[in-house]
Amino acid sequence: MQDRLKKLIEAARSEISTASDAAKVEELRIRYLGKKGELSAILSGMGKLPPDQRRELGEAANSAKAEIEQLLMEAIERAELQKLQAELRGPKVDVTLPGRFQPPGRRHPVSRTLEEIVRTFRRLGFEVATGPEIELDYFNFEALNLPKDHPARDMQDTFYVDAPWVAPEQGSDENGVLLRTHTSPVQIRTMLSRRPPVRIVAPGRVYRRDSDLSHTPMFHQVEGLLVDRGVTMAELKGTLDAWAKAFFGSETKTRFRPSYFPFTEPSADLHITCFSCGGAGCRLCKMGGWIEAIGAGMVHPKVFEAVGYDPKQYTGFAFGMGVDRIALLKYRIEDLRLMFENDVRFLEQF
Amino acid sequence: MRISVRWLAEYVGVPSPADLAERLTLAGFEVERIERPGDALRGVVVAQIKESVPHPNAEKLSVTKVDAEGSLLQVVCGAKNYKVGDKVALATVGAQLPNGTQIKQANLRGVESFGMLCSAKELGVSEDASGLLILDSSAKVGTPVAEALGLDDTLLEIDVTPNRPDALSHIGIAREVSVLTGQPLRMPEIKLAERGGAASEKIRIRIEDPLRCLRYGGRVVEDVTVGPSPSWLADRLKACGVRPINNVVDVTNFVLLEMGQPLHAFDLDKVAGAEIVVRTARPGEKLTTLDGKERLLDRDDLMICDRDKPQALAGVMGGAHSEVGPSTRRVLLEAANFQPSSVRRTSKRHGLHTEASHRFERGMDVNAIPGALDRSAALIAELGRGAVLKGRVDVYPKPIEPTKVTLRYAQVSGLLGVDIPAEESDRILRALGFVRAQISHAAGSPTPSEAAAGPAIAKGETRAVYSVPSFRVDVEREEDLIEEVARIRGYDAIPNALPRGVSELAPESSEVEAERRVRSALSGAGFNEVINYSFVSPQQLAALKAPAGIALKNPLSVEQSVMRTTLYAGLLQNLSNSLRHHAESVRLYEFGRVYVPGEARRDKRAPPAREDLHLAGVLFGARRGRTWTAKDESVDFFDARGAMDSLLTALNIREVSFENAEIPALHPRAAARVRSPGSGEPLGSLGQLHPKVAKELGVPAATFVFELDVQKLYAMANLVPAYQPLWRYPPVLRDLAVVVPIELQNAQVRKLILEVGRPLVEDAIIFDVYTGKPIPEGRKNLAYAIRYRSPDRTLTDAEVNEAHQRIIEEVNRRLGGSLR
Repeated sequence: MQDRLKKLIEAARSEISTASDAAKVEELRIRYLGKKGELSAILSGMGKLPPDQRRELGEAANSAKAEIEQLLMEAIERAELQKLQAELRGPKVDVTLPGRFQPPGRRHPVSRTLEEIVRTFRRLGFEVATGPEIELDYFNFEALNLPKDHPARDMQDTFYVDAPWVAPEQGSDENGVLLRTHTSPVQIRTMLSRRPPVRIVAPGRVYRRDSDLSHTPMFHQVEGLLVDRGVTMAELKGTLDAWAKAFFGSETKTRFRPSYFPFTEPSADLHITCFSCGGAGCRLCKMGGWIEAIGAGMVHPKVFEAVGYDPKQYTGFAFGMGVDRIALLKYRIEDLRLMFENDVRFLEQF
Repeated sequence: MRISVRWLAEYVGVPSPADLAERLTLAGFEVERIERPGDALRGVVVAQIKESVPHPNAEKLSVTKVDAEGSLLQVVCGAKNYKVGDKVALATVGAQLPNGTQIKQANLRGVESFGMLCSAKELGVSEDASGLLILDSSAKVGTPVAEALGLDDTLLEIDVTPNRPDALSHIGIAREVSVLTGQPLRMPEIKLAERGGAASEKIRIRIEDPLRCLRYGGRVVEDVTVGPSPSWLADRLKACGVRPINNVVDVTNFVLLEMGQPLHAFDLDKVAGAEIVVRTARPGEKLTTLDGKERLLDRDDLMICDRDKPQALAGVMGGAHSEVGPSTRRVLLEAANFQPSSVRRTSKRHGLHTEASHRFERGMDVNAIPGALDRSAALIAELGRGAVLKGRVDVYPKPIEPTKVTLRYAQVSGLLGVDIPAEESDRILRALGFVRAQISHAAGSPTPSEAAAGPAIAKGETRAVYSVPSFRVDVEREEDLIEEVARIRGYDAIPNALPRGVSELAPESSEVEAERRVRSALSGAGFNEVINYSFVSPQQLAALKAPAGIALKNPLSVEQSVMRTTLYAGLLQNLSNSLRHHAESVRLYEFGRVYVPGEARRDKRAPPAREDLHLAGVLFGARRGRTWTAKDESVDFFDARGAMDSLLTALNIREVSFENAEIPALHPRAAARVRSPGSGEPLGSLGQLHPKVAKELGVPAATFVFELDVQKLYAMANLVPAYQPLWRYPPVLRDLAVVVPIELQNAQVRKLILEVGRPLVEDAIIFDVYTGKPIPEGRKNLAYAIRYRSPDRTLTDAEVNEAHQRIIEEVNRRLGGSLR
């Protein structure tokens, strides 16, 4: 019996050492240690032995079983390790294949630029105001010191609106309804609705009857207005300079030139150093190094009179900028009309 | 305004053109361009023909020897209009003509030619190509031809703003230059020799409308010989872009460009009754203007008439009948001042924008009239050998008093934000022609009324009253004077400062945050943003069965003639354009206003129309595009619905109702109205485009759209939701599959599940909708994953089973369902 056990162990050791996978190991476990396995077969004759031999044999059988189990366990570990190694050595994932994703939609360049401009002014303490796009002549022109037959009206070719439900103005057969030519009427509406101090920006669509490479009949402006006691032109310069540095970069320089707008006095044009060449001169700035960006000035006393503010007590500044043109320059777009054609191939670039 | 630097230099010392341009620009006269017309004629010099013989081998050519400063050059020439001794323009070897011709040494039929003799056309100075341009005999051999032709000038194109009509002349600009550089201003000397009788005996002038014609002055020049102007005059006009006509007309244009005052010359023999009447047109009156057009006059047009009929559109253009021509002997010169708005209306009405109307509608100096009359009469007498009659006929019914403006010197610093001494302000204003009339010093405490007027009026304040020169029609107020000081000192001299005072940092409006979330959700769903014009074509709106839009009175085109009432018009146009470029997948959205006509207005200052902010989207084509990870499918209704679900989720709007609806632009089977759950108010719509609408608008039938009223949507947003405690106990999941009548909708079934399962059912998520075998016809299978959970304990199987059973029974009983 003892011999048979020894042989069994020898056979098991030899066979188990060659077993390469978990299934084969399990098969060997059943063959050697299963209920109908070889160890059981040897032990089945044990009952016929005398008790002392039985005990001796029992001990030997237990140790044989333990030894085989140990062999099996090692074999399983070996097999698992081999399997893992085989798995780790398998073909590599093609990481150059594209992932599953929904390409994010893009923001329109004008709307992105508009939001960035407004956000920068919010940091300077301006709040956002809005007003109607279909406006009355009074708010768009008259109250802004642009009376009828004023030659400066030529600067803004106007779309007029057929609005039979609006009563004609006094002493006129015109009801003076138009598409606002600038965001400046928001100044008037805002000042009529509250007392100083006022510190607003008014973004929005404006309309002029014009269409070519650099003009579209609709475009966007951001208007700004600050009214308080003792507001100076130095503060206008400082505010716009701070804004330009915050928007275009801290190395940006600004310069102010005298200009003319009927609703400001004194009036100014703000130029900024070209954000493409930094002022050295390039195609974008037509070699000048500067780009005209903002019209501005100190609020004209007649505008204050139109809204019932006392120009002796209050001064203020106002400014306006064309958003589309800034976006055009920023993204180096050659034809402004592309902005509103909304070709998907255009939109997906931003 | 085009300014000749050479001409300008007659009135004031000028720095280099670049420096001049910079200083004018800094003072508010933007120099847009600097031109040197002579640059185009580099290498072309004055040469004298010394010899000319026929070409040995070509009948039409001659061989000349020309002297060009010392060297005698052989040049072959094809023209015949010269004689030996003439001075001509020689383009030397290496030169390039304005028309692009490169001059090279050439061999013409066996004869060497060292350059080219040029015609006026080849030099680009006129259209005359009939022969060589013969230069004045005084031209110096060897000098650049540009110099001999008076083209060695520099021209500045200056953008004069509408408030500065006084600067629309060479003297006007010279006045500014003089202030900027400190160089003295030299006014032209007028050499007027009057002869014969008094002008007032030869012409009567009457102003019938003194409101619109403030002043009308005339001078008479007799025995005039009308002919071409001398070259000095013609060259000046040409340099400024004015075509020379004859010596009389040219003088009026010259004085206009010199002094700014528009002038007109009448053939006095054509002025009926030797009488000028300034009046508005009578019904039916007509005038043929100098441009040859017959114009029917409006009763609002101010006219210069003779005894019988209109002879000129006042301040705009003269008439053909009384035009000065070769046969004219007696000239009436007009210098007048017209009301700006009157001239502007007439100019606009007749579509005539002229040098004169441009100036009058901005406002002219009423006191410039005598000088301009004298200057032009003297020049006409000189050039046309005429006699200036004695005196001016000057009708000036209500002389204008000079404008007086009070300046508080402290306010100059107060408005500009930089200390400027009173002496400096005064110096600048005087240099500009303002006259200080009086100065006062408020001693002691301010009076109560002064104190009430604000902090700017302080104790010890000095004020002065300035009399505004009559050419400065733009200056009316203190601010205008302050601008003058700022402008001449330069804006660079004003420092940068940040606004003082505490600004009220108003919280960002919730709509800004809501919009940000919506945009982010749509971007995540793959939608590109578009911006479309607010105006569309009426046909587009009609095709979409949308309300008619507010019409423009003067649209650029019919495609842009009405204000949109739906955002679909633009989006579908974008889709159709994109498909022309073979886009496979299109998802677009727009934020923008729609315009509602005919709102009753309580207040006459209220906005004329209602403007609602909308958000709309369009979807078409491949859901993902072709990928290797999944089979490609086209978008359907549920992609549109998904976009809407995504933005509702972003705003934490949990429960809105979607219901089938009849929406004319949408497919009757796949159209939904979205409503607010509480009020039932419609928020918007979505669906597939109606096949007929799609066809009419040129987009595919499988186009899906959605549109929402953004204000109403934002009103429902829950941007700051209150925290809900997290569930501590595990859920129990049970699936439910029921077969229900096919017309039954998910919302009904789900609502019932939640209602019956209360309070144990946390949620029921539909995960399958199936029709077809083995489900009987007319029925469909709906499968829900029901999640049971309690906030305060772990549920037992028994209670879940019981609830689930109750749900099954109720679905069967109340909705005609059966368990699958």
